[in-house]
Amino acid sequence: MRKRRIRAAGCTSNKGVSYVKKTVLFPTAGAAAGLINGFFGGGGGMILLPALLRGRVSPQKAFATCVALILPLCLLSAAVMVLRTDFDFLAALPYLIGGALGGLIGGKLFRRVSPRWLKKLFALFMLYGGVRYLL
Amino acid sequence: MTAWVLPLAAGCLSGILSAWGIGGGTLLLLVMTLFLEVEADLARSINLLYFLPTAAAGLFYHRKHDLLDKPVIRTIAPWGIGGAVAGAFLSTVADAALLRRPFGIYLLVMGAITLFSKET
Repeated sequence: MRKRRIRAAGCTSNKGVSYVKKTVLFPTAGAAAGLINGFFGGGGGMILLPALLRGRVSPQKAFATCVALILPLCLLSAAVMVLRTDFDFLAALPYLIGGALGGLIGGKLFRRVSPRWLKKLFALFMLYGGVRYLL
Repeated sequence: MTAWVLPLAAGCLSGILSAWGIGGGTLLLLVMTLFLEVEADLARSINLLYFLPTAAAGLFYHRKHDLLDKPVIRTIAPWGIGGAVAGAFLSTVADAALLRRPFGIYLLVMGAITLFSKET
């Protein structure tokens, strides 16, 4: 069985980035995450997170780092979308306000929760969404 | 007023998950298109924009708690940025109906991987 290589949450991650990670794993994952995220309007984090974990970033840092990476990707993709489509800002506003509130709450509670069971629950919802989209 | 309540609640709940890096954006996208009848194009734009205040709020704490891996960010960001511009541009030229099926498949694959993964 493959030895689990993930470090315990809270450990500091590697200093610097190794050659293979720097040249293959991270660039591929980054480009794929950007493409998917821009194309579908989200979901890029799902590609980035496993890549970060495989690249030996500790789980807790991986989640946070993933958020930091997706932010500029969303900014650029959103700019392209807003410029190139009819965008109704008023319809978007409640989602943005709600999102900021949720982000604050989530950020404050982050270190106190174990996202494991939440992720499994979320996976079930994704499967449901996938079926709905295909029907 | 009621037109605001559900979007606000959906944004807030997804925001909590987003700050935890669990795919709150995907959740919001699904809630908007499957339950709140937001048109696909608009939902994509809203979802991308929604992530900005949400992530910024979450990152405020992540930075304070020193949870950001800066060398990793510096390695990945330039590649991701190129992909982000290309992906968004492609989605504006693609037919919205054409995006449904690949996204459905993407959700099924990622859902299955997340469900059975032991990594987190």
